[in-house]
Amino acid sequence: MPSLFGIAWKNLRRKRLRSLLTIVGIALSTWVLVSLLGFNQGYENSLNKDIDNLGFQVLLTAKGCPYEAATLMLKGGTGLKYMSESIIDSVIANPQVEKVTPMLMHAVFDPNKGESGGITAFLGIDPTTYPAMKSYLVFQQGQWFDQPEALEAVFGYEAAELEQREVGDLYLLPEAEVEIKVVGVLKRSGTQDDGTIFLPIKTLQKVYDVEGKITSVGIKVQKETDLTAYEDELYKMQDVQVVSMAQVKQTISNLVATARVMVMSIALIAILIAMVGVMNTVLMSVLERWQEIGIMKSMGAMTSHIFKLIWFETILLTFVGGVIGSIMSWILASVTDTLIRSVLPYSPTSSLVQIDILLALKAIGIIMGIGIISGIYPAFKAAKIRPIEAIRSTDGEI
Amino acid sequence: MKRGMLLMILLLMAIHGLYAAVGCDLNDPDRDVKRLFPASTGYKTHYVSIQQKGGKALLAKVEQRLGDKFTGLYETMDVPYTVYEIYKGKEVIGYIHGVNQKGQYGGIQVFLALNKQGVIQAFYYQKMTNQAAKSFRSSEFARQFVGLSGQDFASYDPKAGKLEGSLIKIKNPSVKAEADFKATLRGVKKNLILMQEFGYIK
Repeated sequence: MPSLFGIAWKNLRRKRLRSLLTIVGIALSTWVLVSLLGFNQGYENSLNKDIDNLGFQVLLTAKGCPYEAATLMLKGGTGLKYMSESIIDSVIANPQVEKVTPMLMHAVFDPNKGESGGITAFLGIDPTTYPAMKSYLVFQQGQWFDQPEALEAVFGYEAAELEQREVGDLYLLPEAEVEIKVVGVLKRSGTQDDGTIFLPIKTLQKVYDVEGKITSVGIKVQKETDLTAYEDELYKMQDVQVVSMAQVKQTISNLVATARVMVMSIALIAILIAMVGVMNTVLMSVLERWQEIGIMKSMGAMTSHIFKLIWFETILLTFVGGVIGSIMSWILASVTDTLIRSVLPYSPTSSLVQIDILLALKAIGIIMGIGIISGIYPAFKAAKIRPIEAIRSTDGEI
Repeated sequence: MKRGMLLMILLLMAIHGLYAAVGCDLNDPDRDVKRLFPASTGYKTHYVSIQQKGGKALLAKVEQRLGDKFTGLYETMDVPYTVYEIYKGKEVIGYIHGVNQKGQYGGIQVFLALNKQGVIQAFYYQKMTNQAAKSFRSSEFARQFVGLSGQDFASYDPKAGKLEGSLIKIKNPSVKAEADFKATLRGVKKNLILMQEFGYIK
């Protein structure tokens, strides 16, 4: 005696083309669903990664100190205010802080720039903490200096282009006239780092006689930290100003939330289309087999048998379609990624569509859930068929 | 406000990769043009590159005339050169053109003010990094280039750095900065060749 599943499978095979087209429809809906869920997951992860790559979320500087090279240049290299290096100990003591990096901005008048001289700014950094914080900085040539007092420099791309410096070249520090060696040239980053000349902080302090002084501290807080509350704490410190990335992070978070709503709306539409499609196909199949179901009932098939048979057919269709669609979305993830990138105004650097086994199982579950729900009505309709009436008529009607 | 912030972020994030090689512009064209061509009444700015004007074939020709290869990360075919066409009324009275040249301790920016025949009217280092930079940027040193043209530099070999003919009069202001002296002469020769190859002077 064949099982109900066996009969359901056999029934589906009897109308191969229709079953195939239904499976293709379900597979396409699953592909859309998995890709959208994968995008939802991937986009958020990628954006978070990009935000992390921005480096520190908070910049602490002395009150009134210009903290950007551009501002410094506009002010003619004046107005730098220093903080004692000891401030780092009080910042790092806070358990909400993950990492800190001290920086020293130093502007020097170079009489050999332009018609009447110009300003050259240097950024002294700690080679043990800064590179990890600015992991998005990629080298065109060479690498970071590793000695805290090395007479070495790393050039941002535009600074290197202006100075025509490559790894191994020498550079003369203005005023001090100290020779330093170029050990790295960065690729363009689209940030102010492109125009920066980086030196080990100890070297810069020593050469320009500002030992023990810094101009800013970059702070990266723990992920779960409430940035606004933490900034309020920092404001309690005397004579410091806080430059925050909180607003940028908040805006990006809003962007993610908006994208999520849009994605889930499209996913819901895909689910509804799949549901109506499945219900329509199975209902058509029931109507075509009206007489056959009547005969089955007259031969002793119970109402519950017919209900289960039709239901199983629906579940089988959605299961096979779901599995094929999930495999399709996994194989075509990079194509989907490229397609989405071509229409998004800004795409994060890492993968936009992240599909894993859990996501695929979740999507198959959702699609089978759709099958279970959308199969109820056709199954119920089939189960209610009266044998005598069904045998008399050729086609069923809804 | 929120929308503005969002747009700004998107713009900042989207500008990655939009950059190209950087050329050599005057820091303050209005002031510098008037200083180098006191009789001028106006100027037009043109941006040209070897890539745009003839590609690899032109590069090979420029290198052959220069007697040296274009080298390094920044001396490439796509570098945009800025040519300032100087006017007195409606008449073109000359050109100002600068090139970046790799020096011993930093970039050297060599600007030449040329008349329509390509004769140097003024020589100007917009930027130079060297202990002897003051001597190089002196008016005495700059004056040595006035009156010279592409023809005078035609046989100059930047690799050997030996001065002959009318170039003998150019004296190195600092023995210690021999490398930057040679780099300057290479920059001047390159500048003059490019102005000819770009079709501004005969």
